[in-house]
Amino acid sequence: MASAAADAAQSSAASAARLAREWSTWAMKKSEKMVISFARIKPRKKKKKAKVVAHYGFIPLVVLVGMRSEPRPSLAQLLSPV
Amino acid sequence: MGSAASAAAPPPPPPVQPHGAAPPYGVGLAGILPPKPDGDEKKEEKVDYLNLPCPVAYEEIQREALMSLKPELFEGLRFDFTKMLSQKFALSHSVLMGSLEVPSQSADVIKVPTAQYEFGANFIDLPQLMLIGRLMTDGRLNARVKCDLTENLALKVNAQLTSEPHYSQGMFNFDYKGTDYRAQFQIGNNAFYGANYIQSVTPNLSMGTEIFWLGQQRKSGIGFNSRYNTDKMVGTLQVASTGIVALSYVQKVSEKVSLATDFMYNHMSRDVTSSVGYDYILRQCRLRGKIDSNGVVAAYLEERLNMGVNFLLSAEIDHAKKNYKFGFGMTVGE
Repeated sequence: MASAAADAAQSSAASAARLAREWSTWAMKKSEKMVISFARIKPRKKKKKAKVVAHYGFIPLVVLVGMRSEPRPSLAQLLSPV
Repeated sequence: MGSAASAAAPPPPPPVQPHGAAPPYGVGLAGILPPKPDGDEKKEEKVDYLNLPCPVAYEEIQREALMSLKPELFEGLRFDFTKMLSQKFALSHSVLMGSLEVPSQSADVIKVPTAQYEFGANFIDLPQLMLIGRLMTDGRLNARVKCDLTENLALKVNAQLTSEPHYSQGMFNFDYKGTDYRAQFQIGNNAFYGANYIQSVTPNLSMGTEIFWLGQQRKSGIGFNSRYNTDKMVGTLQVASTGIVALSYVQKVSEKVSLATDFMYNHMSRDVTSSVGYDYILRQCRLRGKIDSNGVVAAYLEERLNMGVNFLLSAEIDHAKKNYKFGFGMTVGE
């Protein structure tokens, strides 16, 4: 009986390990795919995308960093003209 | 027993002398103990060449001359409103209604009346991080980032992004600050690479050199500059292989007044320009005026009307080209 319990525990541990391995390889494969797809884009298009991201995202980035700094201003202070 | 060499007893302090009074000694002692000279506190300090101050950055050696001689002259109406949301974060709104000069091939001056609104966001948390962004109605973004990566290494990014293709510009600068030198490496768009180095040679003199390479046009250049400054004056000299020689001199006449002059010679186009100007920094206003060798007279006044409210007047008169620019404006907020 003890050996059966031990066997069950062992098998569950083994299955857990197997699941963990599967998930981690799945995650690695996904991230590899993303990196490869970004690296496969031609350099010119990459520069264009980076430029567009910087163009639209810089001012929101500054506002975000400013709103999160101490002391935190409120949204009303951000939007009011006074 | 301690070694004889270490901790020798300090020499006894010199005998105290009454300041300037004639020694009331006898004739015998007067020869041995001369009276201390009166009032002369300044001693010739020996320059410690291993402990020189850090020089001004390479691109800023002319900053006093530029501040005095090149104010931001404008034409039309200008209104700036800056709203501080906290000590570090501010939003700014800026309106300019007037004529902007369009560069033209002929000698005529072409002005285009424009109206623009500019929204800006500043996050200034010196010394670590500084983010400044300005966005205009035509979609142009002007971004400046300054970040201290380590105590001595700083990264500066300066970019102008436009909606039109091929008109955007960007420049990355890596600055390294040493004890008495500064080094900078620049990477820009269109395959621009540059490096410069400036070193303090004496406590007043610093000299530097720069080299750059333009990938797209396959051009390279080298330049030298030097800056000599004391408490009262600053003199700079710049020579570049692009054929430009520039000198400038600023004299601080008093706490409130400085006079500045600069001279620029372009060997390629045989163009010489010289200007003389003054800069009055008074309690309620700052007045800058200059006159040019091209016959251009300019003046710029910033008057403080109230706490945080500034009134601006700008004028530039060029009789030769018949170009008259007058502007007025107001700045509200710090």
